[in-house]
Amino acid sequence: MKISFFETARYRSPEPLPSAWPAPSGFYDRGAGARAYRDMIQRLQLVEELGFDWVSVSEHHYSPRILTPSPILAAAHIAAHLKKITIALLGPMVPHNNPVQLAEELAMLDTFTEGRLVVGLLRGTTNEYLTYDLNPLEARERTDEGMEVILKAWTEPHPFGWQGRYFQYRTVSIWPRPLQEPHPPTYALGVSREACEFAARHRIGCGVSFAPFEIVGKSTRYYREQCARYGWQPTPDHIVYRANMLIADTDEEAHAMLRRQPDRAPFVLREGVRDAFMTLDSRNVAGEARAPLRSGPLPTTFIGSPDTIVEQIRRCREEVGAGVLDLSLWPAGADDVDALMRSLELVGTKVLPRVRDI
Amino acid sequence: MSERSMAQHDAPGAGFEEGFVDADDFRIRYMVSGDGAPLVHLHGAGGLRLTPAHDLLSRRFRVIAFEMPGFGQSAENTRTRTIRELAVTMARATEKLGIESFNLLGTSFGGTTALWLTLEAPARIRATVLEAPAAIRPEGSEPPSGSPEEMARRLYGHPERLGTIPVADPAIQAKQRTLVSRLRGPDRDAGLERRLSELQTPTLVLFGTLDAVIPPAMGRIYQQLIPGAHLVFVYDAGHAISTERPEAFTDVVADFFERRDAFVIRRTPTLIHP
Repeated sequence: MKISFFETARYRSPEPLPSAWPAPSGFYDRGAGARAYRDMIQRLQLVEELGFDWVSVSEHHYSPRILTPSPILAAAHIAAHLKKITIALLGPMVPHNNPVQLAEELAMLDTFTEGRLVVGLLRGTTNEYLTYDLNPLEARERTDEGMEVILKAWTEPHPFGWQGRYFQYRTVSIWPRPLQEPHPPTYALGVSREACEFAARHRIGCGVSFAPFEIVGKSTRYYREQCARYGWQPTPDHIVYRANMLIADTDEEAHAMLRRQPDRAPFVLREGVRDAFMTLDSRNVAGEARAPLRSGPLPTTFIGSPDTIVEQIRRCREEVGAGVLDLSLWPAGADDVDALMRSLELVGTKVLPRVRDI
Repeated sequence: MSERSMAQHDAPGAGFEEGFVDADDFRIRYMVSGDGAPLVHLHGAGGLRLTPAHDLLSRRFRVIAFEMPGFGQSAENTRTRTIRELAVTMARATEKLGIESFNLLGTSFGGTTALWLTLEAPARIRATVLEAPAAIRPEGSEPPSGSPEEMARRLYGHPERLGTIPVADPAIQAKQRTLVSRLRGPDRDAGLERRLSELQTPTLVLFGTLDAVIPPAMGRIYQQLIPGAHLVFVYDAGHAISTERPEAFTDVVADFFERRDAFVIRRTPTLIHP
């Protein structure tokens, strides 16, 4: 099992912040922001020393919860400071970005990192449709098409045009190309039938997140079935699972930590917007409909002492089939960075050495 | 009215008129519609079938869609020996119709014919568009065959979106298949490929990203062999691009015929509010 650390650039606000999304920019403290990015690098140096396999970043906007609206810039900054660890972009949102530009920037990053890049591509959480004004009804199709543009831009040797539904280009011919051939390990992220099918058809990996084993297991099973239909078999490395983990010396302490977590959804939207999204956006787990927005916090799937967690990881491998576990340690947005550092040490010293052979 | 709803208003090709022309002792049927610069279309191995793309193109061009000798209702063609000969016959047919110079569109097998026609009569061709051309194929590739369902799965990326797919008369199919297998030539025709470097005609090659008859990766070889050839992928279309995505197909084809190399320059306005 490979272990990845999900880095969110912990922003510690000097004053209490409203919980709504988007968070008003006026609350932003410039000094606290600068400190968050400085601390991020220090923390990741420890993450690298502890022997984590990957560090991951993701794209979220308009909120201090995950302070990497450009995950590509974050990754480039991290790549300049860390020398060994694999950098995973999980991921840039495809539907509201220019996919050719994404292909170029990811190729640059792969070259900067000397081939230490892993890429996950995704539609994005529902609230992000408000970022850059994306029509929710078009998001899925734009994602699928954009992902295909990226794969094509990485691999075609001559200038080409693209006559799409949502994207049209008459001249694409990127420089640099990715360092890894034909391109960095790539994942279609999401538990939906569409994401799994896309991944299977293009022989790329599948990334699932923030749901219990039995839910994400449905998606990874569906993904493997689809891969078989397309005549290939994925390895455990083809499946990444991002999940919350609360780790402490004892199970009791870990559960006490969970009780102290705020009991609210990660992105709290105005009621009218939320209600509208419930009908305009559609989401599914391997084809079974699910609500586009959560009403409560993201589940904490891994919780307990190192011994308990090792057992949970073993079970995760059996039930989900994941070969890479991307850990959101101490929930994103929580600004208790000391607690996060203790969790990192525990994972690095008490868990990592015992899950390598899983 | 949007292009889509206009195109679907009538059965495809309803505005086309039938005509016949004699060339090389063949009586050649064609369908014609529209004004503007002439656009000659050479169909694929399945014969002539008018699609919404023909309707859309006929609003900007005078579209002449030929039924090549031996296809459809025409008599069995046992005389034409090579696809090059077929191309020469089609060049004569256009001459007989008084078309001096024209835009040339060839589909699949008709793409190979169009390449030969461009090589044989370069001065008369303003620009050539090859829709999923079959002139360069991976070794051992087989043309689609089997039940109508199997054929549809090979030809279309999304057969389920097309509604009822007309089934051709089995006798006509058998006749066409015999002709095509005799004329289609080797998967890699060294004689043809050697000559492609002569081409001065602006050329656009189109492949559907879901083409299951000719892999879209063949597009690269045309770019290597034809000086300045353009390659455009039509997303989410199979082999029969013009049937599956007529609006997307027409947009790029018409733009290329009208502006040739300059079609790479975007002219679509993006202004939201003046």
